[in-house]
Amino acid sequence: MTEELDLTTLSVEELYEVMGDDLYDGYKEEVVEGVKEALSRNVAPYDVLTSGLVAGMEIVGNDFRDGVLFVPEVLMAANAMKAGMAVLRPLLAETGAPSVGKMVIGTVKGDIHDIGKNLVAMMMEGAGFDVINLGINQSAENFIAAVKEHQPTFVGMSALLTTTMPYMKVIIDALKEEGLRDQVTVLVGGAPLNEAFAEAIEADAYCRDAAVAVETAKKFAAIRRQRAAAS
Amino acid sequence: MKRRERRSRRRDTGSARGVPAVIPIINKLPFTEVLDDNGVQAIHQASMRLLKETGILVIDYPPALETFRKHGAKVDGEMVWIDEDTLMHFVQQAPATFSQLARNPTNTLTIGGRNTIFAPVYGPPFVADLDRGRREATLQDFHNFAKLTQMTPYLHAAGGTLVEPQDIPVAERHLDMLLAHITLTDKAFMGSVTSADNARDSVTMAQILFGADAIRQTPAVLGLINASSPLRFDDRMLGALEVYARAGQAAIITPFIIAGAMSPVTMAATLAQQNAEALFGICYAQMLNPGTPVIYGSFLANIDMRSGAPCFGTPENTLALYAGAQLARYYNLPYRSGGNFTASRIPDAQAGYESASTLWPTVQAGTNYVLHAAGWLEGGLISGYEKFVLDSEMLGIMARYVQGISLEEDDFAWDAFAEVGPGNHFLGSAHTMRHYETAFYQHQVFSMDNYEKWEEEGKEDSYKKANAVWKQMLKNYQAPPIDPAVAEALNAFVEHRRAEIRAGKPRSDWPG
Repeated sequence: MTEELDLTTLSVEELYEVMGDDLYDGYKEEVVEGVKEALSRNVAPYDVLTSGLVAGMEIVGNDFRDGVLFVPEVLMAANAMKAGMAVLRPLLAETGAPSVGKMVIGTVKGDIHDIGKNLVAMMMEGAGFDVINLGINQSAENFIAAVKEHQPTFVGMSALLTTTMPYMKVIIDALKEEGLRDQVTVLVGGAPLNEAFAEAIEADAYCRDAAVAVETAKKFAAIRRQRAAAS
Repeated sequence: MKRRERRSRRRDTGSARGVPAVIPIINKLPFTEVLDDNGVQAIHQASMRLLKETGILVIDYPPALETFRKHGAKVDGEMVWIDEDTLMHFVQQAPATFSQLARNPTNTLTIGGRNTIFAPVYGPPFVADLDRGRREATLQDFHNFAKLTQMTPYLHAAGGTLVEPQDIPVAERHLDMLLAHITLTDKAFMGSVTSADNARDSVTMAQILFGADAIRQTPAVLGLINASSPLRFDDRMLGALEVYARAGQAAIITPFIIAGAMSPVTMAATLAQQNAEALFGICYAQMLNPGTPVIYGSFLANIDMRSGAPCFGTPENTLALYAGAQLARYYNLPYRSGGNFTASRIPDAQAGYESASTLWPTVQAGTNYVLHAAGWLEGGLISGYEKFVLDSEMLGIMARYVQGISLEEDDFAWDAFAEVGPGNHFLGSAHTMRHYETAFYQHQVFSMDNYEKWEEEGKEDSYKKANAVWKQMLKNYQAPPIDPAVAEALNAFVEHRRAEIRAGKPRSDWPG
């Protein structure tokens, strides 16, 4: 149904509800409009992020996982989310709000298959994570350099070929040698992988698809926040 | 700012889905053929020789013998011989295409040409499902299959004897089945052929539903008339055919052949025999009423030479199915054959392979009327609930397949190539956004989940998934609205006839 909405007449809760619907429908301009309206009410940017955008994207993620939404629809929702984030990001930095999480992600050396990895990156961004996408055919040196530069909480690695899978272990070993392994949570994925492989190479988790990657990252991020709060 | 349309596919609105609209099938693809013109001629000539020299046995039905004699056939006792000129004079009077009325006018069928009609399984005495296994079919099962048929967009017709309701006395069963078809579905249905009186009851109920004039103009009842192969017709079938032909209703004339037992072991001889039997029945219908709409039928399995059981999806069946379609086209007649056939008792791998091995050629042959398109198990002894749902998935796949490849300007997606370029993905391109919902067939039962998700959700195979699907379909079912006066008249007729049958009285004409 086409609806003419005057956002100024809505309460903040109603505004978040509309924002959730706009995200679900992939309406970029409308999401940006909602974010701006919320900010004009002096709502904390971090609250707009978590109660507005992230909460809305969680519904998108669930419906994607359960086969309700099509991939292109999720991409549109993630794009709308990114547009909202672009408005919020400078304000979040200004107010010193905690970040949802940061991920360095790449397809490992020898492998140029990156459509699945790009979907993961898109979904992670959609969930509010900062994502540094290294691209395809990435050496251990490149991963190490990116971790040093960006100080991420997550490292994501993907491979489609059984012949390039073992290189994930090379990268994890390199992280250990550099003394970086404990700083990051390593998530791995790709069609030929499974749980047992992830354990064998001492990754932190295997993510079977993009929706699960986001869920897993959220779980680890929550644990980190709890630890940080406890210490 | 103006919100555009909200996506309707939301979790909370998903459950309120109604009855899906029927999706018609018009085959745009070239038909597969296995005989060249000389091959078709050779089968035709062999059939003519069979009809002229061997003849057809007509048992217990003197009126048919009289009709054949009157129209130039040679008759001696119960044997009938007919020559090519006489036969073809009548066969040519049958229409190449015709319509069959449905209660919902949008479901009225066009039978013939490039149309393919899918109809559910016909005749099984048993039903089976995952929860209760195989058991005798009841009227409740008949109602369930009628509802599932109504809920399946790829089933164009309501079919006929969806199951044999064994809890109802044989003599009155047809009344309950017809009433169920008419009230629980709004698709075109098949009439009873178990006796001439049962055929008359079928016509009367169609008259009550559509009006006598309407069904005189366009047939509403389709009867399934089988030859009792080899080279034999009986009184029940010819009696029912006579009722339908005289009332201007339609019939499928099907030789039911299990090759090796009911025909010779070779496909050339089997095809010649099938052709002779089908044309004999079609000729009879035209003698009774020129222009009677008929379908050239084929039900062809072969015997397992070790056990004597019928086999389905064999290479020989497949070849004969294609050849049958060519012969029907040669005579300018609509063709009935195929379905989702299997000898298997449950929807296992054998059932899947055999069914696919008959459904693909059925569609690629250009078959016009496909009985047994959903639910068939154990050589037609079982109507399977889960099999019905799995077969329907394949029907959906066929409905898309026959549309062929579209070659419009937009189909070449130049804007997508310009937007995406080498090495990137197309999932977010504007072209994809315009088409993603309809670009690919969306599976209803088959699952594409990865191993871990499948494992987490209980390792359901397609059999188990289909079990949940048919139960949901029955929950979602909505009866198509019917004029209460018509429903009342139908009920009154059924009870009137039931009383007559129970009292052993002869059939009286319905005043309506």
